[in-house]
Amino acid sequence: MATTAAMTTTVDDSARDRAQAAAERAAIDASCRGPVLFFAASAIVWLLVGSLLALLASVKLHTPYLLTASPELTFGRVRMAHLQAMGYGWLSLATVAALLWQMCRLSRAELVYPKLLILAGVLWNIGQFLAVVGIILGDATSVEWLEAPAYAPPFFIAAVGIISAWTVAVFRRRREPHVYVTQWYILGAIFWFPWLYLVAQFMIFWSTAVGVVQPIVNWWFGHNVIGLWFTPVAVGTAYYLIPKIIGRPIHSYYLSIIGFWSLALFYSWAGMHHLIGGPIPGWLSSASTVGSMMMLIPVLAVAINHHMTMRGHFHRLRYSPALRFTVFGAIAYTLVSVQGSFEALKDFSEVTHFTHYTVAHAHLGVYGFVTMIMFGLFYYMVPRLTGREWASSTLIRVHFWCAAVGIAIYFAGLSIGGWWQGRMLNNPNVPFAHIVNYTLPYLFSRSIAGTLMTAGHLAFTVLFVMNVAGWGQQRAGGPTFFVEPPSASLSGPQRIGPRDL
Amino acid sequence: MTAVEIALFATVIGSMVLFGGAAVLALGWAFRSGQFDNFDRGAKSIFGPDEPIGEATDGFPDMNHERK
Repeated sequence: MATTAAMTTTVDDSARDRAQAAAERAAIDASCRGPVLFFAASAIVWLLVGSLLALLASVKLHTPYLLTASPELTFGRVRMAHLQAMGYGWLSLATVAALLWQMCRLSRAELVYPKLLILAGVLWNIGQFLAVVGIILGDATSVEWLEAPAYAPPFFIAAVGIISAWTVAVFRRRREPHVYVTQWYILGAIFWFPWLYLVAQFMIFWSTAVGVVQPIVNWWFGHNVIGLWFTPVAVGTAYYLIPKIIGRPIHSYYLSIIGFWSLALFYSWAGMHHLIGGPIPGWLSSASTVGSMMMLIPVLAVAINHHMTMRGHFHRLRYSPALRFTVFGAIAYTLVSVQGSFEALKDFSEVTHFTHYTVAHAHLGVYGFVTMIMFGLFYYMVPRLTGREWASSTLIRVHFWCAAVGIAIYFAGLSIGGWWQGRMLNNPNVPFAHIVNYTLPYLFSRSIAGTLMTAGHLAFTVLFVMNVAGWGQQRAGGPTFFVEPPSASLSGPQRIGPRDL
Repeated sequence: MTAVEIALFATVIGSMVLFGGAAVLALGWAFRSGQFDNFDRGAKSIFGPDEPIGEATDGFPDMNHERK
């Protein structure tokens, strides 16, 4: 009898613990819901804008007389506007949504004054709108990754200042004493990006560095915005989502920490490999080649870790959309990074530099890796913020297969076409017009890939709008919201509505 | 050296010192505050009573059986 009573108490205790933890997590999610969903929604708007610009630019390369009547829609402007919309719109805003939500959850701290972050989001979007419209109207600068006309950067700087300060504020209010590896990545990103952006703006536009220093600063920024802003948050997201979804801690936490610090040490060297063969001091591009090779350390650390964590759980890829997108992204990270290290070798660059091969590599990185992980994050995060499940699993499948097949075609087509393009460009006996004609089918395959990817983005947008609008069943039954939390255990009942549970 | 060159030089050297120094300080803090003392506990810190180790937390919306 006594044993039964004791057991009942234990069960009650653990049920209470469970309810308490669920309530705490729900309160944290509720506190950051507004800004995170705002960043996520505006990211998706820019994803659509960027997709349309991308399609237009892609089609123009194999059908050059399309829409040539207006200077606004010429290839040069449309491609720049595409990069601006995707880099600073979709990727950056999705990155901010990802880092805010995960920083709150991992610190186990509520977000205070969320309206300030909404202000940051509005500022960023104003800057972004000015930048894209400005580029289309012909105000672009000639600096890749920094094409935004002079009136846009102040908005980005103000917004990123608020975002970084608020992320640190959440971190300082943390209740969880351990700093998880994802938090290291996030803290790195919010510290590095403002620095990169300010120094690049200062050295290229405000107080002009002259001569070869300009492209050096340009590619120091251009590569680091990928390596120290998108990459850390995306890798950190995979480090949170994969263990969390399958319910198994990372295979080697030690390796994950090594991965973070070696990324911090080596990634910022790599930018000069964009200028191999260019008019810069030879030691600079050699140092970058070394740095790019050293990146194999963090990349293999992440690859081994994610693979070993997933081992025995791969069957779950059939069931969880968040996991499937995230694991796809993590695999693409390994592929693109190993490829990138070897691409930085001078012999390799001799063929592939300034060809479509580089474009394929870039898209495997920003799409196959970063974008796919951000999709995975959205599939996991949004239902937990809105309290609604996704309305249609068919649309999720459409999204996944369009995106996955799309990027595969994109990568395969331009890699093969680009490689032979490079080989022929190195051969003085091949007429240039022949090379241009040779690349046409590959460029056409890119338009097909782009159409598929855009179709996937439309499916994703429909899902997101339906979810936020409250279509789809109320979220229930999942472990996150397993137990109805008793109101006594809440830190403040006003923080929790029925939709959070 | 012109004023502009000095400003650029100061930016480059200044940010190298500032950001290299920040990384060293962060690493030092992490060691001192015991962040690297117990990797096992660190890996488990994202799990809690409501989302324990061994329980999957996600599935396709129409496949509730996966969520246990």
